[in-house]
Amino acid sequence: MNVEVGTQIPPLEIPSVDEQKMKTMAALLRDPYPIHWDAKGNEQMGIKGKVVNQGPLNLSYLVNMLMEWQGADCIRRLTVDFTGWVLGGDHLTACGKVVEIRSSSDTRLARCEIWLERQGERLLEGEAIIALPVD
Amino acid sequence: MTASEEYMMSLVGHKFPGGKRTIAHWENFLLTDCTTSSQLSNGLAHPIALFHIPIQGAQTSIAELFELGKVKDVGTVGLDGYDWEYFQPLREEVEYMCEGEIIEVERRLTESGKVYDRFVFSIELFDSENQPVARATSYWRLRRGQIER
Repeated sequence: MNVEVGTQIPPLEIPSVDEQKMKTMAALLRDPYPIHWDAKGNEQMGIKGKVVNQGPLNLSYLVNMLMEWQGADCIRRLTVDFTGWVLGGDHLTACGKVVEIRSSSDTRLARCEIWLERQGERLLEGEAIIALPVD
Repeated sequence: MTASEEYMMSLVGHKFPGGKRTIAHWENFLLTDCTTSSQLSNGLAHPIALFHIPIQGAQTSIAELFELGKVKDVGTVGLDGYDWEYFQPLREEVEYMCEGEIIEVERRLTESGKVYDRFVFSIELFDSENQPVARATSYWRLRRGQIER
């Protein structure tokens, strides 16, 4: 597939964010922050019966989209801002599009706008630099 | 009581002890599973390992970072962003040297006038030949209530 400015990256759907995976993630990260596993405690923040997904997991959905598009070793840089919480059970879509192509004799890089959305609301957005195959 | 501005500013330049870290296969398997991705081939580690591997490899922890930032209450830590650079793909069962420091702290006000500290730390990974592998910079928001003067 030819990649050029304006190319849309095939989106990735996350039908339902799994709260059990947040618990495994908390253990791997050694993350003591209870918002990721204590739904009852989150009621004081106005989140009833829900836990908050870890930032790296939110980003992972964008990473998975990029890897499915250009391969598991394609990522050169990720620069992202977190703009909203992802909660257990959320239905998300990872999206992206190419905004610039940089080429040299031995590299071809795509600068991509990437974002994670829930029903049109962006919860994470930024840029990725992706290595493309060199012709 | 929360951290004084003077204390927070004193954290800039705080170096983590530094050390070595290897991404074990089992750990990468579980991490990748958490992302809902299928497992990666050729010994590649999932790129989001660039969150916890640098922190743990530099011999610090999320708990210690909370302690340094004098985080007290649930909901007072926010994640503003990441800037992650990959000079080589991350791999399982490869020992990485990790070193880093707190590079920026700034007391700020939200648009509604609430105080928070922007807390930025950056950690670099090197391979056994001292070649750069990756750099992870994290931007946290430490929300403050009553400020100690």
